Amino acid sequence: MDIPPDVLHRFPLLDLAAYERLRWLEEHPAAPRYTHRGVDRLTPEGIQRVAAYEAALSAEPRGWRPGETPAWVMDFAAECFRDVPAYRAFGPLPPALVDVPTTSRADLSRAPWEIVPDSLPLDGLTVFQTSGATGHPLNIITHPEALAHYLPHLRAALALHGVALGASPESNVALAVVCYQAATFTYSAVSTYLRHAGLVKLNLNPADWRDPDDRHDAAQRCAAFLDACRPTVYSGDPVALAELANLPLAAQPAAIVSTSMALLPGLRQQLEARFNCPVIDIYSLNESGPVAASEPHGDALALLSHRIFVEILDDDGAPVPAGQRGEVTITGGFNPFLPLLRYRTGDWASLDLSDPRQARLRGLEGRPPVSFQSTAGLPINNIDVTAALKPFALPQFALHQAADGALTLRLPLPLPDPAPVLAALRRLFGEGQPITLQPFDPASAGKLIQYSRDSVE
Amino acid sequence: MSFRRSYFVLRLPSVNTEGPALETLTRRLAECPAEFLAAPRIGGTGTVRVAAVVSDLLRDLGGQPLTTAQASIFQSRQPRLDRNRLSVALLACWLLHDAWFQSRRQHAARALTLLTEGLNEAASATPADRFVTDPDRREELARLCLRALDLRPGGETIAQAQDRLATLNAAERQRVIEAAREAEARAQAIREAMRRRQIEEANAKAMRE
Repeated sequence: MDIPPDVLHRFPLLDLAAYERLRWLEEHPAAPRYTHRGVDRLTPEGIQRVAAYEAALSAEPRGWRPGETPAWVMDFAAECFRDVPAYRAFGPLPPALVDVPTTSRADLSRAPWEIVPDSLPLDGLTVFQTSGATGHPLNIITHPEALAHYLPHLRAALALHGVALGASPESNVALAVVCYQAATFTYSAVSTYLRHAGLVKLNLNPADWRDPDDRHDAAQRCAAFLDACRPTVYSGDPVALAELANLPLAAQPAAIVSTSMALLPGLRQQLEARFNCPVIDIYSLNESGPVAASEPHGDALALLSHRIFVEILDDDGAPVPAGQRGEVTITGGFNPFLPLLRYRTGDWASLDLSDPRQARLRGLEGRPPVSFQSTAGLPINNIDVTAALKPFALPQFALHQAADGALTLRLPLPLPDPAPVLAALRRLFGEGQPITLQPFDPASAGKLIQYSRDSVE
Repeated sequence: MSFRRSYFVLRLPSVNTEGPALETLTRRLAECPAEFLAAPRIGGTGTVRVAAVVSDLLRDLGGQPLTTAQASIFQSRQPRLDRNRLSVALLACWLLHDAWFQSRRQHAARALTLLTEGLNEAASATPADRFVTDPDRREELARLCLRALDLRPGGETIAQAQDRLATLNAAERQRVIEAAREAEARAQAIREAMRRRQIEEANAKAMRE
């Protein structure tokens, strides 16, 4: 049997066994209607480079001492000032990183080509767009080899929990990425870097799983396919993972990875109980790839890369004292087309450097802090709201306070029993706090702005 | 003709008076101490308070320290807009702090004009460190400072001083134009590659997930 040329175009290093696996994933009778065909054009040299990166990632420290800047950081900054138009425009490289101007998503959105180093050839350049939930849609310029670097980071996150990821006779699929959206991009593939282990991205929305013969309902069909795949790891946002937990699945994964949105402990515990495996929360950005992951114990997120340096900055761009909250600011990354130099992420956390070999983020919250007001007129930090809602298995929520103090709590359908959630908020804001409950369809909501407040004159 | 003549004189200072030898000044720039090369204080970053340095210089040149309004020109919260301008101003402060200028006690007012507005064009085109590391840029900055103080390098005629500064300016302008042309060509190539590859966005998504 020959491998068709169009398949070899998508997977240049495919062998016959891997082709069989790919066909199985594409043609399985319970498989969904994929929206796209998978692709992986990693070259043999690319595999070696990614493997070398993974070896360094495993061996080198992912931390530093307070007040210290790892040696590679200033070398990286010097290279950026020499080779990257946007950074060259800053003038000469200051002797200390803290004096380098910061950058933001708006800079990347305005002129992404100015971040591409002059010395990089443009062969193989690839682009993907991000939604711009924060107001600035991005065209991310990248490369197949850079994209393959996601896998070492995923494996580093899994290794924190003693889970391995790769080709395995026990699984037809190493990684199943699940979504729950009105419409999304789905595909099946084999991973060149993972020795042709299977990968699928699926939409759990029943619309994607309707059986043409109407013999099975969507959930059963979806569960039948996933059980046949026996994924080692499931990955998805909390909304999709909550849906996954509702499916009549028999096969048990080795781990579940939550990305894209905050994972409340209530849902994590529910998922751990349902699937009897670790549930790992990964903090990842389109701009940088995976940054940090939760550990088996404690509520901190451990940095995943030896080539990401994190600073916590105040509004003026000055580092805050160790342990204090501020904006997570990143230098480094693995995408050579997008070298990040003091990139302000818009996310807030504090940095724990108590272990110089392993830096950790604590209290991570997306977007700047929002100060709410209690019925007694006292300020309430949004972190306190997160803490109050921790016990509940809410896959997603958003809280808005109007100028008159009234709260609107948005919760996804199907609604949980709202009484204990509202009671928890009233314990925080005051017993007389007016709260309106506003349900929404998670399949069409997109990313939510979790906390907001109307300005009060 | 008389109108043209007076116009010409206004645009090009006469550099009537002989100043210090050029070599003294270019050597001084080459030996610029680290304090004057450090990052200007902007918002919460940088270490050197440029307004204070300028104020000290004006006093040492026989003038008055900066007023609050004058000082505000050397204070900023916009690093990307003002960092190079303030860094070049610091280098000029170091240069004008030479004993030759201090001993004359008459150059404070022109020095203030130079630092306030006379270096903006140079700073917009050239990274500050090149005024220390590149011999031609050292000479350009030294000559710019002398011209602003209505001086010419010791031992040069007026014509020589004006010609040499014009030559240096023209060469730097040409370099800047070339660099801008190359940068635009590269940006255009990337934008075209992005347009071609946008159709393969799907592939990129497949690999990163």
